[in-house]
Amino acid sequence: MAEEKKKHKKRRTATKAAASIGPMVKAAIGGTIKAKEEGKKTAYSFIVCLYDEILRAMDIVPVWTENYAGVCGAKRDAERFLERAESLSFSRSLCTYALCGLGFDQWREELAEMPPDAPWGGQARPDMMLSSGQILCDPRNKWYQAAQQFMPDVPIHNVDLPYPFYEDDIHYSEVQDYYIKHIMEELRGLVAFLEKQTGTKMDYDRLRETVDLGERTWNLLHETYELRRAVPTPMGTGDAMNTMVPMAFMLGTQTAYDFYAELNKELKEKIARKEGVIENEKYRLLWGGGLPSWFALTDFNYFNSKGAVFPAETTYRMIQPIYNMYMPDTNDPIERLAWRWFGYWVYWYDQARKRPGSHPDVEWLIQYIEDYQIEGVVMHEAFSCRTWHLGLIWQLNQLAKIYKPIPVLMLGKDGSEKKSNRELPSLVLESDIIDITTYSEIDTRNRIDAFIETLESVKQSKTN
Amino acid sequence: MKYFAGIDIGSTMTKVVIINNGIISSVIGPTGPEQRRLANKVMEEALNKAVLAFESINYIVATGYGRINVPFADKQVTEITCHAKGVANLFPEAKTVIDIGGQDSKGIKIDNGRPIDFVMNDKCAAGSGRFLEITADALGINIEEMGELALQSDNPAQISNICTIFAEQEVVNKLAEGIPLRDLVAGVLESLASRVSRMVKRLNVEETVVITGGVAKNAGLVKALSDKLGYHVSVPSEPLLTGAIGAALLGKDLVMKAEKDGQYLERKKRSLREIEIL
Repeated sequence: MAEEKKKHKKRRTATKAAASIGPMVKAAIGGTIKAKEEGKKTAYSFIVCLYDEILRAMDIVPVWTENYAGVCGAKRDAERFLERAESLSFSRSLCTYALCGLGFDQWREELAEMPPDAPWGGQARPDMMLSSGQILCDPRNKWYQAAQQFMPDVPIHNVDLPYPFYEDDIHYSEVQDYYIKHIMEELRGLVAFLEKQTGTKMDYDRLRETVDLGERTWNLLHETYELRRAVPTPMGTGDAMNTMVPMAFMLGTQTAYDFYAELNKELKEKIARKEGVIENEKYRLLWGGGLPSWFALTDFNYFNSKGAVFPAETTYRMIQPIYNMYMPDTNDPIERLAWRWFGYWVYWYDQARKRPGSHPDVEWLIQYIEDYQIEGVVMHEAFSCRTWHLGLIWQLNQLAKIYKPIPVLMLGKDGSEKKSNRELPSLVLESDIIDITTYSEIDTRNRIDAFIETLESVKQSKTN
Repeated sequence: MKYFAGIDIGSTMTKVVIINNGIISSVIGPTGPEQRRLANKVMEEALNKAVLAFESINYIVATGYGRINVPFADKQVTEITCHAKGVANLFPEAKTVIDIGGQDSKGIKIDNGRPIDFVMNDKCAAGSGRFLEITADALGINIEEMGELALQSDNPAQISNICTIFAEQEVVNKLAEGIPLRDLVAGVLESLASRVSRMVKRLNVEETVVITGGVAKNAGLVKALSDKLGYHVSVPSEPLLTGAIGAALLGKDLVMKAEKDGQYLERKKRSLREIEIL
């Protein structure tokens, strides 16, 4: 493993912004340890749980446990933590982020110090753990309960964050008020818990400013990523797996906003120079779902070496500009947060309703395919992540009903109709997020080679 | 006269085909670590059969898992493209190709001889020819006997297709329970057919369906697969050769296209040598 780690090359980035992320994450992880030393409160946290701005407004330092597991995976140093969790009777088929975190926590608690050579200095011991009951991911509810057996003194608070299911015959407006009320109650419950833990009252003026900054960051990120529609695209999914960091882990901070302002500027400059991810962009692909294999991000470079780029991805793009969703005229930052959560999900419900037979999970893909001139879809089935990856094949099957080598009527966003007759080859990669034992570089690249040949074959068919 | 060669180095078998206007020579031999290094020997055998010198070959395309181990090939192309091409040559109306190899299985959707989509299982032996090899061994029969035995069964046994190793133990236990051999073999073939058909159905299978790979010689498996898919499954006369045929044809297309465009595709690797690093 040591040899493998040594030999593994870092992914080449297309943007300076993406290249700056590694040191930023390292500093953030180191920052959590420093925060502990300075007596600041730290909280184990999950991304996309709506509490980013609340924590920032109360000076609580989030310790992003999924992020740390991903770092262990990217450094190809997760195996020893996974094995440790397995030896504690946690099944290897559970979420490997959770397994890695549990193995790490147990080891740190046993030693009363960081495990030897812990990647980037290790993960700070939390003062509290903020779990989340979401349809999105069940380990978010169970992981910290399991971790509590190693840290019985660390309290857990669970935030329930539901969103309505998509129903063809029931409009979400029928349940909207209930959801908003429930989410607001959950967030107020969280604030009360945090006030108790910190002994400090929430400064709602500060929270308002932080939420405002978070919303502006969402808008800016959306506008910045939309620049990737350009041909050649100035940034691919490989880079986006880096540039998601400020949105996912630093929302509500000026650092995150400034990062995207800088990225926006860089992308505009690249577009003006017609500078793409690669010199000769031949195939435009959509990363249509699934978390990446963090230990194999160089596969994106491999795609690039074959002339393929990824102008868009659904992974880590769980934002919509605030101006695209309903937001009531309210001065209450908690209410704004609740509407943001709800509005994000139902935005795609509204979009799907405009296209007969569509579904939000597919509509998302269709719009990216059309807007970004996509020629093929790549997905990754990570065996240990059931929630994210369940349904990927269904999504591909739905797309196959739309993208065929026969004329199909496509509806534009403005209601316009146009005929499309194009195939959309797809590739499903199979591995895991951080369990490197599931990955074979030779087999993966063999699949990529075959996929590229298929793309070329489809292209040739059209030319002929 | 122009000659083109296709060499398909699979996990179990190595196949070479030499063509001009038709197939003039073909060789099928086992792939082992040594043979993979010595692809040149297999090529030599095919050349001898065709009574041709290596220099007479105008273009060589290598395919299969071992394609990178063919230093004298002019081009490497994946087996997806080569199988599509080879099958379309033999069955011009083909829309779906199922290739069950020694260590993987693939489904390929084709249109006018070109692949337009594919699925692949390279993660689990339970969806590959290896599954049959191991269970045949456990049952003490030759793999070649399995097809005919299975066709005699009207009550196939239930065999797990989750894991080859467990299935091996399962058939041994069921044999000890007294379940007739023909029913066990039929169960094994149904199990493999079920796993492969589940994967291939992702492609929205259309007729004509063609199966390739050594497993295609197994009539019981072809019947089981046909039943699962609900379509007749056609088998080439030599199902192991379609990848190599496709590779040779792709080489021919490249040379012909270059000539049509007034270019000459010069071969740079004019020595029949073995790979130096494996």
